[in-house]
Amino acid sequence: MARDPKIIEDRATPIKKEWEEYARKGNWTVKGYEMVRALSGPGLEEQCKEEDFMVVYRPHGVLYHHSYGLVSKFFKGLIERQLYGTKCPKCKTVYCPPRVHCWNPDCRVADTEWMELPLRGKVHTFSVMLFSADAFLEMLPFVLAYVQIDGAHTAIPIQVVTAPTEVFIGQKVNIKFRQKRTGDLMDIYAVPVKGQKTPSDSCLHRDEKNVKDLNRDMENTYAFLDKRFGIKKKDVEKRWKV
Amino acid sequence: MSDRRVAILGGGLYRPGRVRYDNAEEGVAMAYKNMLEDFPKLDPREIEFVQSSYFSDHLNQQLCMAWIVQDYIGQHRKGGYRVEAGGSTPLDNIINAYYLIKSGQYDLILVLGWEWMSEVDTATTNEFIASASDTDWDFTVGGFYNGYYAALETRHMQLYGETIEDLGRIAVKNRNNAIHNPFSQWRAEHGTGRVTLDDYYKDRIIAWPYRRWNCALISEGACCLLMGSEKMAKRLTSHPMWIEGVGLGSDSMRPGDRLVDWAYHGVHKADERLYPANVEKPKTPYPEMANFGFARESAKQAYAQAGISDPLKEIDLAELFAPYDGVELCLYEDLMFCPRGEGKTMIRQGVVERGGELPCQLSGGLTAFTHPVGATSLFQTLFLHWQLAGLIKKKLGDATLQVKNAKKAITTGHGGTGCQGGVIIYSKD
Repeated sequence: MARDPKIIEDRATPIKKEWEEYARKGNWTVKGYEMVRALSGPGLEEQCKEEDFMVVYRPHGVLYHHSYGLVSKFFKGLIERQLYGTKCPKCKTVYCPPRVHCWNPDCRVADTEWMELPLRGKVHTFSVMLFSADAFLEMLPFVLAYVQIDGAHTAIPIQVVTAPTEVFIGQKVNIKFRQKRTGDLMDIYAVPVKGQKTPSDSCLHRDEKNVKDLNRDMENTYAFLDKRFGIKKKDVEKRWKV
Repeated sequence: MSDRRVAILGGGLYRPGRVRYDNAEEGVAMAYKNMLEDFPKLDPREIEFVQSSYFSDHLNQQLCMAWIVQDYIGQHRKGGYRVEAGGSTPLDNIINAYYLIKSGQYDLILVLGWEWMSEVDTATTNEFIASASDTDWDFTVGGFYNGYYAALETRHMQLYGETIEDLGRIAVKNRNNAIHNPFSQWRAEHGTGRVTLDDYYKDRIIAWPYRRWNCALISEGACCLLMGSEKMAKRLTSHPMWIEGVGLGSDSMRPGDRLVDWAYHGVHKADERLYPANVEKPKTPYPEMANFGFARESAKQAYAQAGISDPLKEIDLAELFAPYDGVELCLYEDLMFCPRGEGKTMIRQGVVERGGELPCQLSGGLTAFTHPVGATSLFQTLFLHWQLAGLIKKKLGDATLQVKNAKKAITTGHGGTGCQGGVIIYSKD
């Protein structure tokens, strides 16, 4: 007889209750409408004609339950302040993000083995985000980096908490855990190891105009943060002094 | 392989814009109507199969929208389905129709594509699109394709030395092409004035190294193509555009996994050797997080079928699927217009400019013409059809963009961060 799945740790019940309300509110029913006079037609603007359109507003709020599958150990590890990777016993590749099955065709989907990884790595590449999706707007401006954890062969996406004008490829970083951890990659962040010199060939730094322009446009981001969330520039800069 | 030839017979469009208020099925219907005007001899009942492409169900709170569209234009009863693969959606749509015709299954297929992307706010649109990235991993840490692509470009820039100015040159080129394309969103929003590098530098950085101008547009629009066998081409048009070769390829889902990419390991040895000596080599040096392996794999297949050995010389123009300007630069390399690392010289020397040896993105491309995801490659293919048929003046009311005696063209498509994609080679004869 099949064994039923059993909840062995419950950190979700209050959340499920809270989200019931959102599901009720966000149930695709029309909450309001506008009448909009706008151009209609396939051709150029001058060939289009004005029509009146009814535009309705419908919300959609849902709570998914999603299994992390066999890499659950990695995410539970984050909550418990441990960083895990996996290693293929055949080709010895170390994966972080972990794969429980090796993707090397020679290894024929071999089962990998879990291993603890050090809380150190280096920046493989990065981007400085001055705009982002809704969930991340309050964190702007931030550095989205792909960091290769020491001992791993692949790179993991992670935010580097630093002044965005100071990040470079090859930068050594320490991995830190956030105070509040929920079980996703945002539970960790990277901070540059102190005392490193920016290499003269860093693609962000080899032309000083790059840094100047980045500073100029970060001011726009600060203005947005202040207007939308009341977050001040000095609060943002405080985040980077960890 | 079957020796049946397959052609794009023609197509129609519904002008894309940031926000349109005709809804998707109406937009597609108008594009279809626009197409029918070019085919007075075609009885719509003759169409044997209808293939649709749109990218996202989230954007419009509607699954299976293809069923709405197919019946709205009275093309139901016959077979049809949706093809979907992120940004590669419309290219795959064309390729799939090509297979169906080439196999002998059908002689005449209607290919529809659309996307309505402004029903949610811009940040949410970006979030929905980014849910095509791995939501357990990459999405969690930035949730925005601009960020992933910017990180890829940073890597290429560090390895091969292109500059912000090179990205600016591409952005300026594409806008100065788009001002001659009245269907382009750039022209609709900014008029017909030329832009310069100075203007580019004033533009806002979104995700360094990318400014807003370097990034794909958000669009609502529809496009359709009529595809057929030789028999249909003969009967229905005097200027078919033939498909001479197609190729498909893929890269890993998560870009960070490309540092040890066993599927690519040792496959492209020449490119692995072109890895700069002063940078620590990852286990797999090509494509790494710098180039696009899917494009190389696709191009190899497509060139072999089309008998192309020197793409730069043999191809007359390109409409690339480049949602970011660094992707365009990398594609010059991965499509073998130049060796790896030389993409920057293609733009610096004007090779890819209008009037250059291989002009790219004469339409304006995804950053200046339009990018309604499920229709983008259809728009680019329709534009190429007008080019090879010598119809640019007729269709755009301006002959500036017409490449004289254009005989061969290339287009590409891809989804994700190059996770899946393809190449098509078109020819006039």
